[in-house]
Amino acid sequence: MNLFIDDETRARLEGIRALGASEIRPLGLEADRLGRPTPPEHPFFERLVKGGQGRTRWSGAPEASAPGERRSKVGSSRSTLCLAEEMAYWDRGVAVSFPGPGLGEPPLISMGTEDQKQRFLAPFIEPDRPRWGSFAMTEPGAGSDVAGIQASAQKEGGNWILNGAKSFAANASRADWIVVWATVDSSLGREGHRAFVVEKGTPGLEDFQVERKMGLKAYESTSFRLNDCRVPAANLIGGEEHYARKAGFKGAMRSFNATRPLVAIMAVGIGRAALDATTDFARENDLLCDIRVRDRLERARRKLRSARLLCWRAAWLADYGRPNILEASMSKAAAPTAALEAASLGMEVIGTVGGRGDHLIEKLFRDVKAMDIVEGTGQVQRLVMARQLVQFPRN
Amino acid sequence: MIDFELGDELELVRKTARDYADDHLRPGMRENESARSLGAKAWELFGEIGFACLEWPERGEAGGLGALAHSLVLEELAAADPGAALALEPLGAALYPLLEFGGEEAVLRYGEPLLTSPGARSVLVWVGAGGRASLADQGKRVSGSVPWIPADRVDSLILLDETRARVVRGGLEFRRVRGSGLRAAGASEVIFEGAEVVAEWEGEDEARRALARARLHTASLMLGVMREACDYSRNYALDRVAFGRPIAHHQALAFLIADMATALESARLLAWEAAWRLDTGLRADEACATAFLEAAEQTAFIGPNGVQILGGHGFMQDHPVEKFMREGRSLSLLLGGVDTARECAMRELAGTAGDVLLPLGDLS
Repeated sequence: MNLFIDDETRARLEGIRALGASEIRPLGLEADRLGRPTPPEHPFFERLVKGGQGRTRWSGAPEASAPGERRSKVGSSRSTLCLAEEMAYWDRGVAVSFPGPGLGEPPLISMGTEDQKQRFLAPFIEPDRPRWGSFAMTEPGAGSDVAGIQASAQKEGGNWILNGAKSFAANASRADWIVVWATVDSSLGREGHRAFVVEKGTPGLEDFQVERKMGLKAYESTSFRLNDCRVPAANLIGGEEHYARKAGFKGAMRSFNATRPLVAIMAVGIGRAALDATTDFARENDLLCDIRVRDRLERARRKLRSARLLCWRAAWLADYGRPNILEASMSKAAAPTAALEAASLGMEVIGTVGGRGDHLIEKLFRDVKAMDIVEGTGQVQRLVMARQLVQFPRN
Repeated sequence: MIDFELGDELELVRKTARDYADDHLRPGMRENESARSLGAKAWELFGEIGFACLEWPERGEAGGLGALAHSLVLEELAAADPGAALALEPLGAALYPLLEFGGEEAVLRYGEPLLTSPGARSVLVWVGAGGRASLADQGKRVSGSVPWIPADRVDSLILLDETRARVVRGGLEFRRVRGSGLRAAGASEVIFEGAEVVAEWEGEDEARRALARARLHTASLMLGVMREACDYSRNYALDRVAFGRPIAHHQALAFLIADMATALESARLLAWEAAWRLDTGLRADEACATAFLEAAEQTAFIGPNGVQILGGHGFMQDHPVEKFMREGRSLSLLLGGVDTARECAMRELAGTAGDVLLPLGDLS
C-alpha cells in the first residue's frame, strides 16, 4: 500500500500547475465568456507545440512486440491519471482542445496497419504546426447504445462509400483526419462496425456544425455529415482482415479498462477546482465559521477524496492488466456525482454571485455536468457494474 | 508510486482472520447476541492466533503489526459479528490512549493482565464533545453517568476527552441495558459514584492521535458490517424471484446493489488511506475522522437498504440484515459520533489557503 506520487509525476504536475495558472485557466474563462471554442490559429496552440505538446505516443518504429512490453508501461495509467486531474483542475475544456491525434490515436495504434500509422500518426511525431486528429462514433440517434449506429459503409471497387451523421466529435472541424465508425450491416450490431480514417477535404465530408454547449466551451464539439463520402480502401483501419480476425474472438471482452478512471478523475479535477474556489470565497466572506457551510464542505471534500481513490485503484489494476471492469465503472459512476455536488454546493455558498453568470464556480457547475455523460453515463456504469455483481442480463 | 497491493504478509493476516471469523464467529452470531457473550473456544483461539495484541508493541511472536493490518482483521471479524469483534479484543480501542499517552509501559501494565482471563476487557469511553456523558470531577474522583457502552464486563475503564486520558476503577456500576446492537459485547449504562482516577495523562496532541486511531478502529468494524450486508442482500436478490425473474435483475434493485458496492469501496479506500498514513508516520487525524465519517454515512445507506432488498424477510430476525442495520448505526455513535468527527475533519480548512485537496501537498 502506497499513496505517494512519484517524483517524476510530481515534477510534471508542477509544470501543468504553472501552465494552468498562467494560460489554461484564463483561456478557459475567455472561451466561456466569448461563447466559442479557442480558434485553431490561437498562438497558445503554437506555443504548446513548440513546447513539445501535441505529439503522438506512437514511436514511429514498427511495434516491437516484446512480451515484457506491458510491464514496462507499469505506472503509466496512474501517472496519466494524476496529470489529467491537474489539467482538468485548471480547465477541462482547454485540455480537450490541446493539439494532438486525440481519441483517434488509440484505434490507430491498436488496430492500424503500419502503413496507416505512417500516414496518419507520423505527422504527429514532430508536428510542424498544431495538428489535430478526431474521433466520431456518437450519432444523433445513438449514444450509449453504440451498437445502434446507423452511418453506413458500402464497398464500391477500391473505395468505401460512407453515409450518415455524426455528433459531438471533439476538434472535428480542425482535424487533419477523423476516425469515423460506420456499419456495413446495422443488423449485425457491433460486429458490423468498421473504423475509417476520413481525411480533411474529402468530398462528402461536410456540414460541419460547431455545437453550442452549456459548458466546456473551450473545445469544439462538432457534428457533421457524410454524403456519399468516398474513402479509399486503404483507410479502413486494420484492413478487412482485421475485422475477419476479430469476428473469431466474438464475445471475448477486455477484462480491464483504463479510460473510465481517466475520465472520472477529470471530474475530480473539476470538483477540486470548485471546492478550492468555494473555500476561498467562504474564507474571504467569513463563512467558514458557519457550521452549516463547513459541514457541507467537509462532505464535498470527502466525496472527491474517495472518488480519487476509486480512480487510482482502477488505474492501478489496469496498470497490472488485472480485471477492473467493476472498479473502473465504480470510479466513473462516483466521481462526476461528487464533482457536481462540489460545484453545486459552491453555487449555494456564493449565492447570488453565482447568479451573475461570470464566476468561475458558475462555469465549473456547467462544465462538470458533461462528465456524468461522456465515456458512459452514470446509468451505463451501473449497468456494467450490475453485470459484474449480479450477472444482470444484457437484453 | 500509488499502489494498493497489500503484500503477502497482510493477505495472510486477512485470510487468517476471515477463516477464524467464518469458523468461530458467524455460526454463533445469534446465540452470542442473546447470551451477550462468546464461547470460550472463540476466545482461546483468538489469543492463540495472536489477534488479541495485534497492534500492540511487538512482544515475542505477537504484536508489532500496523494500522492497516488491524483494519483488515477488524473488517473480517465484524463481517461475521461486530459485537464479537469488540468483545474479543482485550484492549480494543483503549489501546490507543494507553499507547499515545503512556507508551509501551502503560499498554503492558493495563493490557497484559487481561490476556490470561477470557472475556477480560479494558474499554475506551469518549467523554469529550458529543459523547453524551455527564460527568463531574471531584479531585481524583469522578461522578456521573455514561448512557451506553458496548460491554457488560469491564476490567478497567479508560476515559478520553480532548485533552486527557484517565483510568478509573472502583465506584463504578454497570447497569445492563438492552443495547440497540453489538450485544455479543454486552451493553451497559455506566454509573460513576466517586469512581477513583488511578492514572491520568494530559496532552492535546496525544488525545487527538488516540481519538484518531480509535476512529479508524471503529470505521474498520463498520466496513465489515457493510460488506456482509452487501453480500447477504445481493445473494438474496439473486435467489428471490418476483415478476418472473430474480429481483436482482430488475434495474431498480440492480442499480441499488451497484451503488451499495460503490459505497462500501469508497469507505474502505478512505479507511485504507488513513491506515496507510498512520503506518507511514504522516499526519492522520483528519484522514481518520474522514474515514469514520464515510463509514458512518455509507453504513447508514447500506444497512437499511440491505433490509429493504429482503423486503418483509429483512425485517424479521430470521435473517441477519436487520442486525447489520442496527449494529452499523450503533458503531457510528461511538467516539462522539459524526458531528465531532466532522469538526475534526474540517479543522485544518479554516487555516489553509486554497488547495484543499491537492495531491501534491495533500499527501506529503
